[in-house]
Amino acid sequence: MNPSLKFLLAVLIALEISFTSTWMVNLALAIIGLLIILTSRPPLKRLVLLFFVPLIPAVALAVAILLQSNAGMHFALVLFTRIYAYVFVGSAATLTTSVSDLVMSLEQNAHIPSKFAYGFLGAFDLLPKIVSEVNVIRAAGNMRGQALHIWSPQLYFKAILASLDWSENLAEAMTSHGFSEGAPRTYFKQIRVHWWDWCIMISSLLLLQIALFGLHLQ
Amino acid sequence: MKYSNAWHLRDIILLTLIAIFFGVIYWVIGPLYNVLTVALTPVGLGPGANDVVMGIWVMAGPLSGYIFKKVGSATLGEFLGSVVEMFLGGQWGASTMISGVVQGVASELGFTFTGYKRYDWFSLNLSVLTTTIVTFGWDMIRNGYSKYHIGLLIALFIIRLISTWIFSGLLVKAIVKLLDRTHLMQTQSR
Repeated sequence: MNPSLKFLLAVLIALEISFTSTWMVNLALAIIGLLIILTSRPPLKRLVLLFFVPLIPAVALAVAILLQSNAGMHFALVLFTRIYAYVFVGSAATLTTSVSDLVMSLEQNAHIPSKFAYGFLGAFDLLPKIVSEVNVIRAAGNMRGQALHIWSPQLYFKAILASLDWSENLAEAMTSHGFSEGAPRTYFKQIRVHWWDWCIMISSLLLLQIALFGLHLQ
Repeated sequence: MKYSNAWHLRDIILLTLIAIFFGVIYWVIGPLYNVLTVALTPVGLGPGANDVVMGIWVMAGPLSGYIFKKVGSATLGEFLGSVVEMFLGGQWGASTMISGVVQGVASELGFTFTGYKRYDWFSLNLSVLTTTIVTFGWDMIRNGYSKYHIGLLIALFIIRLISTWIFSGLLVKAIVKLLDRTHLMQTQSR
């Protein structure tokens, strides 16, 4: 499926189930999400984490409803399944799409300006460097007997200084390689929206409405 | 000082880099949130963990609003932070983006109400307030907060307000103060 439409669909579904309370639909969505995740053959560790990590907030919300409100078992079940629907539908989109495919599709299909697409992509590729920079900053602090915690302004300050430096370099590098803002571009990898993308999108949303209203009217 | 509203490549890269730093930090505190939730669950206060760490989740918004001083920068900063977290393998998948937009718009409102003219302690506090109110409203719908007894609801709101004030207010102010002393951010107005 086209990456932009896939993410749009996942977000729309998540939004819709935030406002409805039908646990069967939530469960069905979670199962469909899980099936899509399984087709992408994720590593076993990832899959186990995907099952257990949502368990924490899901149980927390359900227990809180049972102990701290009069809403009862049904609503607790709704919240519990809602969390799983969120996570599985959301991960079904993220695990089957690469960052660059999504960004390319957003540029070509959703027509976001190319400076945003390539600016984001360029910065995103610095991710490993940033993770190591955080470690370097903390190590440098430790060497001076200064422990940097999540609440230390110096940690963020140094991170922003590094970002300033790199953003200047990266922007210059991109410009010197011929990138110019707003100029028309040709694409090495063309991403199209096919008719079946729209079909999947519209029919999934229709099915969701039918399921929600059908169960609601009962 | 007059700030331009146009986004240039360098700004976009800088914003993304800052968002990535925060995305990495969010990702690092993921476990903290989980541990706290587990600890509070037996007494039915598990969702409170969300309110305790809320200030950290929403920091990128007011900080980028303050640094870039452009319309939409707080929203974009927070949103990109959530996108980065999503691709790092945060626990919520694509749904993270919804929270990102809600939190971003929430912190943006503080600057909107001052007409994007004031960037000081007042607008920062206003942003803390709008962030708390809007994100709390969202949790009332999404996480079923609206069903709680009123006492707990008020307690959760106050916890969230304090957390947001400490991180998105005090800490952001301290960071911005350090940045202002370097005079590096003035290049932003080009």
